[in-house]
Amino acid sequence: MSLAANLQAVAGSLVQVEFDVDDDGYVTAAHPIFPPVKEIFIGGAASLIVFVAIWKFAGPSIVKAMRDRTARIQGELDGASEAKVDAESQASEIRTALGDIDGERQRLFAEADAQAEAILVDGRTRLDQEIAELHERADADIAGAASRGGDELRSDIGRHAAGSIDRVVTETLDDAAQQDLIESFIQRVGASSAGATS
Amino acid sequence: MSDAQIEGYARALFEVARADGTLDEVEDELFRFARSYESSDALRSAITDEHTPVEKRQAIVEDLLDGKATPTTVQLVSMVVGSGRGRDLPAIVDSLVQRASSAKQLDVAEVRTAVALSDDQQSRLKAALENATGKQLNVKTIVDPSVVGGIVATVGDTVIDDTVRTRIDQLKARL
Repeated sequence: MSLAANLQAVAGSLVQVEFDVDDDGYVTAAHPIFPPVKEIFIGGAASLIVFVAIWKFAGPSIVKAMRDRTARIQGELDGASEAKVDAESQASEIRTALGDIDGERQRLFAEADAQAEAILVDGRTRLDQEIAELHERADADIAGAASRGGDELRSDIGRHAAGSIDRVVTETLDDAAQQDLIESFIQRVGASSAGATS
Repeated sequence: MSDAQIEGYARALFEVARADGTLDEVEDELFRFARSYESSDALRSAITDEHTPVEKRQAIVEDLLDGKATPTTVQLVSMVVGSGRGRDLPAIVDSLVQRASSAKQLDVAEVRTAVALSDDQQSRLKAALENATGKQLNVKTIVDPSVVGGIVATVGDTVIDDTVRTRIDQLKARL
């Protein structure tokens, strides 16, 4: 049996369908594009039956799947929203941290400036003190050197003068001077009373 | 030499001089000789040198004093040197002078001058010192060129110094 005959037998058992068959037994259509009207009604009814069957038996599963999908998508949207909130929170924290970093940086800069200024002031103060001390020490050294020079000069003068005194006095003391000294002593001692001498 | 030995020699010299009747002269001559001994290194060395025989040291002393001191003084000094006590001669003489002055109830005044004093000056100086100290004095005058000029008198613990040497020393100290 040919395929067309088989199909016709099957279809005939279901509905009364008539096919155009050519001489060789093959099914032929009246129009190359549009089926026959009768076939449209039959096809439409069959399609309707199929759709109803699908709606009745597969509809709940599809609805449930769609709802699950909707819920999943909603969950994903909620997660994304939470992630966004978290991200915004983190962004806020980061911005805050950045602000803190800027503040810390400013504080560090200010502190460094203050320390540098303090070090500079301290350095200037110590430098001034050292300069003053150097001046003072130099003045003291100069004064000491001048004093030592003066002392040495006085010592030299004294030594030379002392060396010359004996010679000068001895040469100056002639007999008259010796007698004057003796007479002066006698008169002075003679003029003093007992107990006045030492 | 102990003080007792020095006193012993001084008493012996004192008794000899007093017995000889030349105490004042001997005392004065011994005092001058003792001062010369103190001021002369050569004399001190000649009298105290242990390597020189005692007889030779006595001969040196006798030669030095011959014609310049009484025989009693020469003999007493020679005796002290001969006994090996030449080193203690000044102390013995000072004790003798002190003893002689005490016998006459006088205090000893040691006077040093650069030039010799005349008799008049010695007399007036003695009176001046007695007036100043209130004591009767036995004045012993020593010519000591080291005083340079003026007089320094020592009576017991009292020193009256008006010498040029002292003034020079003070001036040197100030310089």
